[in-house]
Amino acid sequence: MSNNQHIPRSSLTITLAVWKALFLREALSRIFSGRAAWFWLLAEPVFNVAYMVVIFTVIRMRVVGGIETAVWLVLGMLGFFMFQRTSSQLMNAIKANQALFAYRQVKLIDTLMVRAGLEGFLMIFIACILLTSLVILGYSVMPADPLLMLGAFFGLWCIGVGFGLITSVVIAMLPDLGKIIKFIMRPMMIISGVIFPLSSLPPQIREWLMLNPVAHGIESMRLGFSPYYHAVPELNIGYIFSFALGSVFFGLALHRRFAIKLVTK
Amino acid sequence: MIIINDVYKRYKSERESSDWVLHDINLTIPSNVSVALIGANGAGKSTLMSLIGGVDKPNKGTVERHCRVSWSMGFGGGLHGALTGRQNAKFVCRVHGYEDDIKARLAYIQDFAGIGDAFDRPVKSYSAGMKSRLQFGLSLAFDFDVYLSDEVTSTGDAAFRKKAADSFKKLADHSSIIMVSHDEGTLKEFCTAGILIADGAAHWFDHIDDALKSYKDGRPK
Repeated sequence: MSNNQHIPRSSLTITLAVWKALFLREALSRIFSGRAAWFWLLAEPVFNVAYMVVIFTVIRMRVVGGIETAVWLVLGMLGFFMFQRTSSQLMNAIKANQALFAYRQVKLIDTLMVRAGLEGFLMIFIACILLTSLVILGYSVMPADPLLMLGAFFGLWCIGVGFGLITSVVIAMLPDLGKIIKFIMRPMMIISGVIFPLSSLPPQIREWLMLNPVAHGIESMRLGFSPYYHAVPELNIGYIFSFALGSVFFGLALHRRFAIKLVTK
Repeated sequence: MIIINDVYKRYKSERESSDWVLHDINLTIPSNVSVALIGANGAGKSTLMSLIGGVDKPNKGTVERHCRVSWSMGFGGGLHGALTGRQNAKFVCRVHGYEDDIKARLAYIQDFAGIGDAFDRPVKSYSAGMKSRLQFGLSLAFDFDVYLSDEVTSTGDAAFRKKAADSFKKLADHSSIIMVSHDEGTLKEFCTAGILIADGAAHWFDHIDDALKSYKDGRPK
């Protein structure tokens, strides 16, 4: 195949072409990587949430802070998964995509950006499925302040991206520290107030727990759903986005600084 | 033309100072000259190859590519096991910016690789020979000035090697190849010049026969 006319592509054209190619490749490999992988991709988080909802509504209370428990839990888990799944996708991106760096057009940061985008996309699908299921079960899922709810959901994605960017570098450079990070992340779901209300805790403990931006994001989503929700008094929506901005910037800076070290063996 | 300027390369290791794999490499590979990289196992052939291909960066020095250089083909790198040959081929087309005529290129790759229905099966089910057929087809579907081949031809059968050789000869008027292989016959068939790598240093030979002779004598120069 030869045409001798050759015009070099601009950097932006290359990056956009790479993003498109990577996005389709990642999506394909996530969807078709095993038997019914597409089903488990969506079913796993849905089952996870459904399990919790059943346990809580059957055994425990019907209402949390002015919102029905099922809705309260679904919002919390959606927000938490948005953060957790995005960050863990980025964390593991370097190892998973090593083979792709055979093509010098593909930069490490491209694979992370594409993974973040794809995960956000999948989470929107999962959110639609879960909220539709709630409607079918007879719950009202119309948020009072949709913009606040979506804003907080987006904020949690940004925090996930920032955290994933930073930890991906840390894990690649210092594998031992990576183990500690995973250990610290384990109780994250509990301390972010996904399955019990943080507002029920004494203020001295809350003060510390509310340093965690994920807790702010999850509470904001619930507040956006119902203005009468008894949110944690320390809730600060600006904190989510300043944390997101700071961590994404720091993560990108780390990737810029260690770009060569991260891909060379 | 590819200019390798004062290049040093060593790998990260547990101990702080690992030995230089390559040191003080200064080479100019002219256009339209096919070059064989020759050296013992572990001499640094593949390292030099990945530096030329831009996959790895030297610790010191620069590699300038004044032409279109392919990715380095070999050992199944760059292929995704869970995806089919066709999906992998589409990915490579898109990365290289050939979205418009993707159909024609896919047809060419499928025809060249000659792996039949396996083109639509996951790459992890391929044998080594089938992988190298696909990789070879992939790189030939694009118009590069220099093709990098790391042992990729050695796994193919006789018929495929002949096919590969024929297509390279067709390309020879405006393209060249830089090749790593332990098979003397393959090197002589494709290449005119040689680079002998020994003790971390590289030596240029205008004629492949001199390079091979020097390699066999065990003494560079």
